[in-house]
Amino acid sequence: MHYLTDPFQYEFIRRAVLAAVIIGVLCAALGTFVVLRRMAVVGHALTHSALPGLVIAYLMGGSLFAGALIATVLTALGIGFLSRDENVYEDTLVGMVPNIMFAFGILLISTTKSFRDLFSMLFGNILGVTDGDLHLIMLISAVSLVALFLFYKELKLFTVDPNYAKTIGMPVKFMHYGILLFLSFTVVVGIQAVGTVLTNALLVIPVAAARLLTDRLGVMMILSCIFAVLSAVGGIYVSYYLGSASGASIVIFAALIFGLVWIVRSLSFPPPTKTFGGKLQRGSRSLRDE
Amino acid sequence: MKFPYCQHRHRPPDPKAPALEIQGLGVSYSSEEKFALRDFDISVPAGSNLALVGPNGAGKSTLFKAICGLLPIRQGHIRVFGHPLAACHHRVVYLPQRSEIDWYFPISVLDLVVMGRYVYLGWFNRPRKSDIEIARHALKEMNVLDLVDRQISKLSGGQQQRVLIARALTQNADLLLLDEPLNAVDASTRQTVAEVLHKIKAQGKTVIVATHYYNQEEGRYDKAIYLKDGHKCII
Repeated sequence: MHYLTDPFQYEFIRRAVLAAVIIGVLCAALGTFVVLRRMAVVGHALTHSALPGLVIAYLMGGSLFAGALIATVLTALGIGFLSRDENVYEDTLVGMVPNIMFAFGILLISTTKSFRDLFSMLFGNILGVTDGDLHLIMLISAVSLVALFLFYKELKLFTVDPNYAKTIGMPVKFMHYGILLFLSFTVVVGIQAVGTVLTNALLVIPVAAARLLTDRLGVMMILSCIFAVLSAVGGIYVSYYLGSASGASIVIFAALIFGLVWIVRSLSFPPPTKTFGGKLQRGSRSLRDE
Repeated sequence: MKFPYCQHRHRPPDPKAPALEIQGLGVSYSSEEKFALRDFDISVPAGSNLALVGPNGAGKSTLFKAICGLLPIRQGHIRVFGHPLAACHHRVVYLPQRSEIDWYFPISVLDLVVMGRYVYLGWFNRPRKSDIEIARHALKEMNVLDLVDRQISKLSGGQQQRVLIARALTQNADLLLLDEPLNAVDASTRQTVAEVLHKIKAQGKTVIVATHYYNQEEGRYDKAIYLKDGHKCII
């Protein structure tokens, strides 16, 4: 039992666990809509795009949070704006932008001597969360979760049938940008835990695992949150006892949960079958597009 | 407190105006220069039942999408019960082709059908008991009340169509735009749809149906409009 309680004697571990729980809940809740709206690659683009913002803020001695937030929001709005031109495919854009932003970030950091700080930007350092960071994480998470709760009904409709949403007068463009904005917030918070490279994993993996187990949106969100929190806390324990990188440990923990859920699901349910006019019916089992 | 989705206030219908009036309508998809619909005029009196006939690509869906605000209007204007669409979103419902819905979204049939009430609820208000009753009633009319708790990915083609029509009925609109409601569905669904359309007409609502099957259904409509290459051919 003391294996579980031992780490808690340290103030920085207690702070890290609290941060991990909050970040896990936020990533999973928003990640649910990210996955269902097939925006997982957009999340990937945004997480990588934070790097130049982080580096510039670091070089100027400003707030890393603010730097990352500005870079991600600008990227999100930029992708949203450019993809309105139908000749610029959104997936090409999100394949392109993160690499450019990432290269820019590395270019900037290569002008300095320190690569130790680059490591924590890339891979996160949840064990180094300060009280100030924690307050910011709480604030951003509270605002995002309240927004998610208030617009839950609209997000549902906007995701399942955006055209119908538009015909009843919903401001769908505004909602699209809104989701991108809150995704940027979430990414910035997630970076604290697992870094720019791995944040997308925290948005997507717990949700993917939850999707395997349920057909109900509400249940799916709750399960995603449980998986994300388990991964975050579990990763911190692994990191504490093995001395491994905290961000990577969290992501590997999430991947293990997904693997376990997948095996349990495969053993207990039959595989998808062809029904309804020979069309492959994917049912609740897959996340892929047709 | 109500917070409608559209800033414009919903206005009562103008009793003298036709259900739908279109003048000189030109519509194109944003990236294309070519008009998908051009110089289109029509006036549909309230309570009529119209068939919109034409081959694929003739502009049937384009016309519907323009009427319900999914496509920007390049030329001309559209009035619904005497008002621009923004003043009467709740009076127009568009039944899309089934492929436009994400059927793998994890919600139940009832959740999807209740969405037909959102236009009345607006921001922040959750569906009430009365909204759920209306949705259940619509499902009953479409003979699919037994599917109420089913996940929408587990529906057959005919069931998907019935559920979508149930959502359209739930909105209780006065102008219904049905895009190929009978396309690729089983005989019993076709029968149910025909009966429901008959009922809707008896309630004095205006229905426009885009269809491939006009020859078999001729008797059901007051009038047919033929579309070809974005033009109206014969009336």
